[in-house]
This record gives sequence, structure tokens and C-alpha cells, in this order.
Amino acid sequence: MKKYMKEMKLFWNDHQVAGYRLPISYCLLLAVPFLFFSCSLKKEKLPILGQREMNGNDTVYHTVAPFRFVDQDSAIVTNATFNNKIYVTDFFFTSCRTICPVMKSQMLRVYEATKNMPDVLLLSHTIDPEYDTVALLHDFADRLGVESKRWHFVTGAKDSIYKIAQTSYFAVAMEDKTEPDGFIHSGAFMLIDKHGRIRGKYDGTKEEEVNRLIGDIKILRQE
Amino acid sequence: MNCLQWVVASGLLMCCCTSKDMKFQQYFAQGQNLYETHCSNCHQKNGQGLGRLYPPLAGSDYLKNNFEASICLMKYGTSGEISVKGIQFNKPMPGVPSLTELELAEILTYITNAWGEEHEMITLEQTSQALKNCTPP
Repeated sequence: MKKYMKEMKLFWNDHQVAGYRLPISYCLLLAVPFLFFSCSLKKEKLPILGQREMNGNDTVYHTVAPFRFVDQDSAIVTNATFNNKIYVTDFFFTSCRTICPVMKSQMLRVYEATKNMPDVLLLSHTIDPEYDTVALLHDFADRLGVESKRWHFVTGAKDSIYKIAQTSYFAVAMEDKTEPDGFIHSGAFMLIDKHGRIRGKYDGTKEEEVNRLIGDIKILRQE
Repeated sequence: MNCLQWVVASGLLMCCCTSKDMKFQQYFAQGQNLYETHCSNCHQKNGQGLGRLYPPLAGSDYLKNNFEASICLMKYGTSGEISVKGIQFNKPMPGVPSLTELELAEILTYITNAWGEEHEMITLEQTSQALKNCTPP
């Protein structure tokens, strides 16, 4: 817009030099197609979240730390599972009756929306690995009716799950005996790009936020 | 009957209907609040449930055929396999022990009328009777 204003000013000045004034309506008439043109040229890009450092002239962005978990099929899931893939991730537990079922019904929408996108995967971590065994996660995914190829439900050492939540994904996940279900955790969905960088954070309990996520996935795939 | 009598009679009639309607509306509205606090996270706002994890309540044959038992499980929870609309569910459901007889009647009035079906309101007498026969786990 700023650029456009500048151009308009130049245009105006030129014409003043030429010795006549343009009526405002004429300017507006010119402005409309011009604005459309400039908007269609502008390519939307998602921000890169987290801390960044300078290494010489290169910017080093925050990326997800190495991890190793087990999914509902007992398969090992690591960063390599998401090599050259975009993924959406969250933290939950199966016996939760507060926000998790809402998150899962919203994540199911993401699952449906990305059905024909082979480069998009989903990753849900349990924050109650003692209760949520591989067998239980398998049953959960099966009852939800989703494919393990596209949606990994993982469990692992409690400490590593909590640590990756807090340090890699900036999500809140911890035990808290005073909470009704024994845990506090955020209902956030994080969007991770093909380089392991966080490109968006969304409230996974809100439909509008998840609509925004689905839109952002399409933008990210254009990169 | 003169005009005045007509007015009084129709007024009385309306009054009677609206007071019954009013009670229904009250139960329904209060039931919706309670449903959205205690139930809709799993059973969803539209009562459709989620996959084979959480059974639907909208049009639930289980609820119809096990009405009294359903009142008990709302308060005390349940576990084990049940069949709802031809699908097997087998996840434990925690109860909400704090629910009163009135609140249970309100929630059930909401559940049985919210999604396209029309039923009589569920009364306090029905829920308190059912609770007497519960075997809390």
C-alpha cells in the first residue's frame, strides 16, 4: 500500500508539472484495478516462529529438536518420519474429557481436509504415556477411524514428551494433580514445515482457528 | 358468552399453555448449558458423537431402550461394551456425580428434543425414581 501511495504521489507530481490537476474520481477509477493487480501479485508467506540467530549472513531459525517415539502400530517415529513433509502436531491424552475430544474432532477436520495431500501428516503426542500404551493408542485411532500412515499417535518417555512440547513446540504439557484430569496442557495445534520450522500456532478447540490452519497448510504447500 | 368472557377464557388458556411451555423452555435452556459443560466435549454439540469413540446421543436407541440405566450412568459413569445405532462402543465414561435430579431432568429434556426429535419434557419425578434404582459402581 505504501508503495502504491508513493507511486500515486509521483503520478500526481508528474501531472502537476504538466500543468493540470486530475479530478479525484479519476484517481479512484485508476486505483481500483491497480489495487487488484498489486494484491494478486503479492504472494502470501507464513511467518517463521521462534528465536532466530545470525550465523554470518545466514539466519538460523528455530527447528524441532531430534525426537524418537513409538506410534499406534509400534513403529518408531522420528524426525526422519517427517522428512520432506509438512505436519500438524498436538498434545493430548485419551482419557481426557475436557478439551481433548474437541481437539480430536477438530484434528479430524484437518485429516479430512488434507486427504489428498500426500505431503501432509499429523502427529499427536500423548502426555499420559503410563496410561496411553501403544495398544490403547491403536484402539483409539481405530475407533476414530483414521489411517496410521497419515496420523501418528505417539507415546514415549514422559520426560521427553514434556520436554519436546515445551522446548520445541512451545506448547504447555505437564502433570498437575490439582486439575480434574491430572494434567494441564494447551489445546494448540502447531504447523511444521518441511525443514522442521514452526510456521503457525492455532487454538485446536476453535473451529475458526482450525479453518485458518487448513488455509495456511495450502499456503505452505506452495513454498 | 360475551366478549369479556371470551377474553378471560382465552387468557386463561394461554396462561396455562405458556406456563407448561415455559417450564419446558426453562428445562431445555438450562439443559443446553449443562450439556455443553458436561457432555458436548465428547458427544459433540450436535449430539453425533465421534467415530466409534463416543456414541451419538441424537436418535440413540440405547437411550430409548435403557432410559433409567442412562440416568444412572450420567451420574455414576459406566464401562463395558454397549451398542448404539448398530455400532459397538467400549470406552469407559466417567460420570458427573455432582449432577442433581433436576439437572439430570434438564439435560435429558435437552438431549431428547434438541436434534430434530420431539418428546415430552423429562420430569424431576422420572429422574429421582430412576436414581433410587441405581447401583452406583
